[in-house]
Amino acid sequence: MLKILGRATSSNVQKVVWLCDELSVPFERTDIGGPFGGNDQPEYLSLNPNGVVPTIDDDGFVLWESNSIVRYLAEKHGAGTPFWPEDIQARASAGRWMDWALSVLAGRHVPVFQGLIRTPEAERDMAKIGAARDLWAKANLVLEAWLADHEYLSGDAFGFGDIPASPFTYRWFNLAIEREDFPNLKRWHDAICARPAFRKHVIDIGLQ
Amino acid sequence: MLQLKGRNNSSNVMKALWVLDEIGLDYEREDIGGAFGKNDEAPYLTLNPNGRIPTIIDGGLVLWESNSIVRYISSTHSLGDLCPADPAGRALCEMWMDWQLTELVNGMVPVFHGLIRKLPAERDPAAIATARDVWAGKWAILDDHLSRNAYIGGDRFTMADIPIGPIAYRWYELPIEREDFTHLQRWYDLICARPAFRKHVMTGLS
Repeated sequence: MLKILGRATSSNVQKVVWLCDELSVPFERTDIGGPFGGNDQPEYLSLNPNGVVPTIDDDGFVLWESNSIVRYLAEKHGAGTPFWPEDIQARASAGRWMDWALSVLAGRHVPVFQGLIRTPEAERDMAKIGAARDLWAKANLVLEAWLADHEYLSGDAFGFGDIPASPFTYRWFNLAIEREDFPNLKRWHDAICARPAFRKHVIDIGLQ
Repeated sequence: MLQLKGRNNSSNVMKALWVLDEIGLDYEREDIGGAFGKNDEAPYLTLNPNGRIPTIIDGGLVLWESNSIVRYISSTHSLGDLCPADPAGRALCEMWMDWQLTELVNGMVPVFHGLIRKLPAERDPAAIATARDVWAGKWAILDDHLSRNAYIGGDRFTMADIPIGPIAYRWYELPIEREDFTHLQRWYDLICARPAFRKHVMTGLS
């Protein structure tokens, strides 16, 4: 059976377990990282030298980098469905949002999420958090513009390209921050929240 | 013909140029960004709302995010060669491409911008030195990987080598302290022997 190593509160682990439930792929998950530790131990580092989560072991095939894991499992279990389009241009278009979630969105959200959720109130730098929030809003404006013309990030249908941005968007709508009115982002996020697998692995975990 | 938008001294544009020339595809490039500007003007923002480079236009597809461009070009024109045909082999390539985005580039940016794109009076040597140490730690991980693999994606040159190549060039060309990473150096020498890398990446630091 597919093994997933990583704590359930990590947005990068959430991408993978959410995907598995969307595609009905059975898996066993082990808590690693954060309060559970283990990610800096030789046993884990021999699988993933970066010491971050998640890592998967798929019958002996070891893979890390959550977006690569999502693509690998999506193709293996979702090929031939709208989730993993046959058309190579449609696939490239959906996939760009995965890279974008890494190159733009993740970095913009980190100071806000870490600042408000993982930093004690007395230690918070609210000016820094506010400036980071403004940059995060600019990134969300890019999503808003795309979603004005497309039902999903992946195109006409929900697909693998929608996975990486979604846990960040959940945080955007649930952190105690100022929010611009992004109607299309909200419509897309509501559609994502209606998915039982997203509810189970992201919403029910909440902000930790 | 495929159109590529972006100034050629951007490491992200270099990735696209390098893969296009490895395959031998024709393209037209337009200078956008940096000293050329235009990346924050309406015509370009219509194509790429991030205002970043590169962007390609290929038939009906407008695509941005440089690693997505490398993956698209490789899978369209070089499946079974630059882009492995088997899903596991491909996933291992993509893992290192993602690693370039999530881990490797973060060490590079403060060092490269600090030393090359800032005036000497504006430099923060302590911040540059700290970032260099972080960056070296990432190279140590790749050096270990390359002790068991000839190339990043395994035993031959693939798309996995492309995003990391321009970052390695900067590592070896910047006036910084460098650890003795034997396997990284061996791989880098192989990369430097490739004409398309020499043409598009080994063009100086600017």
